[in-house]
Amino acid sequence: MRRNSIRNRGVRRKSKVLDIDITSLLDILVILLVFLIKSYDATGVIFKISEEITLPTSQSQARNTTGVVVQVSPQKIWIDDEEIVNQDTKRAIRGGIVQPLYDQLVAKKNDIKMIQNNVEGAKKFTGLVNLVIDKTLKYNYVKTIMRTCAEAGYSKYKFIVRGVEE
Amino acid sequence: MYRRPSRKSRKHEAEKPNLIPILDSVFIFIFFLLMSANFVKIFEIGSDVPIISDATPPKNKKDPLNLTLKIHPNSISLHTGANERRVFRVSKTAKGDYDFFALREKLLEIKEKNVDEDTIIMMPLANVTYEVLVKVMDTVRDLRADDRDIWKKSAEGGDIKVRTLFNNIIFGDLQS
Repeated sequence: MRRNSIRNRGVRRKSKVLDIDITSLLDILVILLVFLIKSYDATGVIFKISEEITLPTSQSQARNTTGVVVQVSPQKIWIDDEEIVNQDTKRAIRGGIVQPLYDQLVAKKNDIKMIQNNVEGAKKFTGLVNLVIDKTLKYNYVKTIMRTCAEAGYSKYKFIVRGVEE
Repeated sequence: MYRRPSRKSRKHEAEKPNLIPILDSVFIFIFFLLMSANFVKIFEIGSDVPIISDATPPKNKKDPLNLTLKIHPNSISLHTGANERRVFRVSKTAKGDYDFFALREKLLEIKEKNVDEDTIIMMPLANVTYEVLVKVMDTVRDLRADDRDIWKKSAEGGDIKVRTLFNNIIFGDLQS
């Protein structure tokens, strides 16, 4: 009776704000935060490792450093995610070095040096090369890759390895 | 007589804190962490290119250790001195793997006698896989928690615990 009375007809009834319990959501967020903080990598170096490469495991705990990334699989070679050799790599070896790799490394070095000379505060050429190598490759081939890097002017190798699971 | 006021009327509704800004910041933080998260633990092993120099070496009273590790098809050997005198050799185990335990024991012994020495020259003569090479580098590099303690004297005369074995790895046969 009261509802239908003329007095209440024009009055808009306030709808009650739904009170959602977000405690469980906050719990999930906190757990997620802890998990992400645990796997946070402060170095800022991110490797996009090819699926064709299986890294060897190592007990090393040394953090990664920034540099040119050379990835080597049994069939292919990449520099900074750019494929440069996509064939039987033995054909690309001339004079004890992998020629396309050498050319690209020299070009990269020249680019970095040019930027370094022209832009104030630009990153300096460190001569550091991160070697992401498939674990099945033989030493003679690895040595050829290392020699190619050395000939191109890169004096520091960093062998990228997978850490042992704790 | 007045009645004692009832408890019901005194009850205040608890004020709920405004969680929206906290939730906003937590979400932003999660995205930031997701971007920089590294789920596969990736580390590095450093090595320098050997430098060939014509300059006369500095006059030291002590002869350099020149510790060289050679990987043969069936054994690993250690050599020291300018004339590469062999000081140790260990054959493969019955399983067919290199005996890294025996190699490590010998390296610890050498390190105890040469605490200031950090360099080792690697000479893989066998065409081993990269995986084996990494295992050898792991064996020669760092001191582990279960290794015996090695101490050295600091400039002030105090004792310093040595943390690395032969951490400066150089491949000596790159030009061959």
